[in-house]
Amino acid sequence: MTSKTSSSRKGGAGRSATTDPSDAIPLRYGDDPYVWACWLYYEDGMTQGEIADAMGVSRATVNSYLADAREKGIVNISLEPARLASLTIAQELKRHFGLSDCLVVPSDDNARPLIDRLGVAGAMALQKLVKSGDTLAVSWGRTVMSVGEHAEAQALQDMTVVQATGGTTAAFSYTPELCAASIARAIGARCVGITAPAIVKSGALRQMLLDEPLLLEQFATLSQANRILFGISSLRPNSTIHTSGFFDTVSLQDYLAAGAVGVVAGRFIDERGRPVSGPLDDRTVGISLDVLRRIGTRIAVAGGFDKVPALLAALRGGYVNVLITDAATGHGILRADGVTGLDARMSQRPKLAQTPSSYRTHVKKFLNNPNEVVEEMLDGVVRAHRDYIEPINGSHRALVAKSGPRPGKVGLVIGGGTGHEPCFLGYVGKGLADAVAVGNIFSSPPPDPIVQCAVAASGGEGVLFVYGNYAGDVMNFEMAAEIAEEKGIKVRTVLTTDDIASSPIEDREGRRGVAGNFFIFKIAGAACDQGLSLDACEAVTRKANLRTYTVGVALEPCAMPQTRRHNFEIGPDDMEIGMGIHGEPGVTRERIKPADDITDAIMDNIFKEMKATSGDRVAVLINSFGATPLMELYILYRRVAQRLAAKNIEIEANWIGHYCTSLDMVGASISILHLDQELTGLLHHPCETAFLRIN
Amino acid sequence: MSENAARRLVSMFQAISDAVEAEKDHLSELDGAIGDADHGTTMSLGFLAVKAELAKLDLDEAHISDVMATAAGAFLNAVGASTGPLYATAFRRAAQAVADKTELDLATCAAIIDAMGSGMRERGKGQRGDKTMLDAWLPAADAAATALAENKSADGFWHDVVASAEAGANATRSMIATKGRAARVRERSLGHVDPGAASSVVILRAMASSLNNAA
Repeated sequence: MTSKTSSSRKGGAGRSATTDPSDAIPLRYGDDPYVWACWLYYEDGMTQGEIADAMGVSRATVNSYLADAREKGIVNISLEPARLASLTIAQELKRHFGLSDCLVVPSDDNARPLIDRLGVAGAMALQKLVKSGDTLAVSWGRTVMSVGEHAEAQALQDMTVVQATGGTTAAFSYTPELCAASIARAIGARCVGITAPAIVKSGALRQMLLDEPLLLEQFATLSQANRILFGISSLRPNSTIHTSGFFDTVSLQDYLAAGAVGVVAGRFIDERGRPVSGPLDDRTVGISLDVLRRIGTRIAVAGGFDKVPALLAALRGGYVNVLITDAATGHGILRADGVTGLDARMSQRPKLAQTPSSYRTHVKKFLNNPNEVVEEMLDGVVRAHRDYIEPINGSHRALVAKSGPRPGKVGLVIGGGTGHEPCFLGYVGKGLADAVAVGNIFSSPPPDPIVQCAVAASGGEGVLFVYGNYAGDVMNFEMAAEIAEEKGIKVRTVLTTDDIASSPIEDREGRRGVAGNFFIFKIAGAACDQGLSLDACEAVTRKANLRTYTVGVALEPCAMPQTRRHNFEIGPDDMEIGMGIHGEPGVTRERIKPADDITDAIMDNIFKEMKATSGDRVAVLINSFGATPLMELYILYRRVAQRLAAKNIEIEANWIGHYCTSLDMVGASISILHLDQELTGLLHHPCETAFLRIN
Repeated sequence: MSENAARRLVSMFQAISDAVEAEKDHLSELDGAIGDADHGTTMSLGFLAVKAELAKLDLDEAHISDVMATAAGAFLNAVGASTGPLYATAFRRAAQAVADKTELDLATCAAIIDAMGSGMRERGKGQRGDKTMLDAWLPAADAAATALAENKSADGFWHDVVASAEAGANATRSMIATKGRAARVRERSLGHVDPGAASSVVILRAMASSLNNAA
């Protein structure tokens, strides 16, 4: 290759044009000045000026070499995809909302909690934005606190940090006082508090407080703030705002009813960012939204999907001009505001996985009429298991145990959608459930068959409903319970919530019920069969639920019989830890790992919650989601047993196989029931059902 | 008034069924984005069942609360999952709310809308902002109460009710679902109108045109 291009480029005009390039390249460079220039620049880290000297060419020529090298593909500049995505989102957010700056942390970094990463990013922004002599107002919250924890001292002077609101109960660790103090300490600023409660009893009291000389002085400092750092609270059911003690529940409901979607510095805003008025307005001591909006630099730091509506509202209302968030949240905000085309831009990167020509869109299944699968299955079930179950009033949607219900015994009714076989009908029989209500695929039965079950199961001592915690099931079973009560049948309910991956421990009641149902049904059935009272049956079933821990891992999706298509997708090399039995999202989607590593991840999660000590006993259930064979289940069991043995926890009993499936999903779950003496006794109590027999 | 209240209420249910039938595919399409694409079919099934069951009532004898209670039972038996109990509870609460009413005036209409919204809220244990049908029904109930308090005309009343429901349904676009199937897709539900809220608007519009014209 010759070097004629360099002198013909417009970038190569000027001095270099007078030099014959071929003379300027010593032999030792080979005949390729491009590669050499690139080597010096990218590998040796020389500047373009240094390279020009070394090569004896002009700086402009070096510049054109480097540009040409990229065009010719000699150099490929690649950005780490996650960082590229976050940059794209940041640019789009900045443009769309007219922000002066935006920092987006990548989402797919599971190494550190989101709050931490937002804190680091917030600290970076402070470092860049805060100048000597600034007055920085600081609001409160977990994320703001995290900024304080990560902020570092800078060579700045005369800075003041001022609390943006009054104070709150110190029952949590990110109060306005602590947040302001933490940031002041970190950046070496003077700290000015607002020495009044954030919410006071009455408007009159607030006025009296604001007239106090000390508060006048503090508010004067606040009014001088030229920058503010704040978090944004969601008002969604699980958000910390409900537990932080900042607002009382009654007032929150008032604001929710008035359309509030978020809280900025203790003030409520609606979806368009307009202030929402309510009972706390004239009782709140702190910065007003108007004053906040007049501050020059308004840094909001917040992330997490649940905050998307609140963040969007704050952006629309103009309360933010510097946003620090994470990529997924940023993407969500843009999508919620109708920004399109972002996905296309982000997916311009070449995809690794190409669809092979042999790719199938339909899954093969044994079917007659896809709309009749449930009826046909139930017809088969009733024929196959006539020793244990029979239809109630001829209906296959309500099945009763042949020798289950009897006078004086609490009746146990279970049920749910189909597609989970042998759940739930496989556990109906003497010593276990008395009746089961059967819904459509992944869909709750209506109240009517549930009521029929309650009537059939009733022995005059009340009926216990035990089923998985899903919205549809809860509504239908609750209606059935009301109707049964009208018929004079006393009903108690225990929702199973054993899927520890479905929600954090703080939201334990929001968790889903999955394969651990098996243990919980068994305990409940035994308690009923032993003739315990309704209270006692309910209590021990609740205990079993609290001591059952399940985590599932999905490798491949399942396909609905009606469509014979996958109802979601999992990438070719991926797995999803924590996926629910209807394909609900889990905790993490990651590259598939060796079986022992997967088992360890699951057991680590279980050990985190199960307070078992050396010598304790457990029951283990290794459950296939449908398509995973026993061979693999035993491999999982092997490692579970090793992990338990290492803690000197004894396996009292184990079950390995198909116990609570998800059609033809590939995957498995591990359930551990942490036994005590009472549960051990009930676990071994005899039962006779199609899928569990204990003598 | 040429028709008795029960007849007018039955015509209202017929109007709802017709409207849902017309919007069936659109509703299923909305559902396809975040659920299992059966919302249109489900609602259609439910209201066809209601229409069939109401046809069996003797409308010269029946009270408006009988109409509501019949609708509740029919809808529940036809539709399982969560839509069934939600609307069945709504109709049942409406039946209780109109037990002492004989006229289908604006006060009764407001009571029906309010009872339906609160029935759904209790059954679903939801609130505004959950991206559900409540985001249409609760604002509609508020608008009805306000319009009633302000002595608005029937035109004004129904206009406010429908407009509030529409605004509420549109707002679900920027919400993330936490309830029901759509909760499974979490952030992917952003940007999509909740199909349950959309069908609520269809229902309220049909109620408005049926009850307002007949008045």
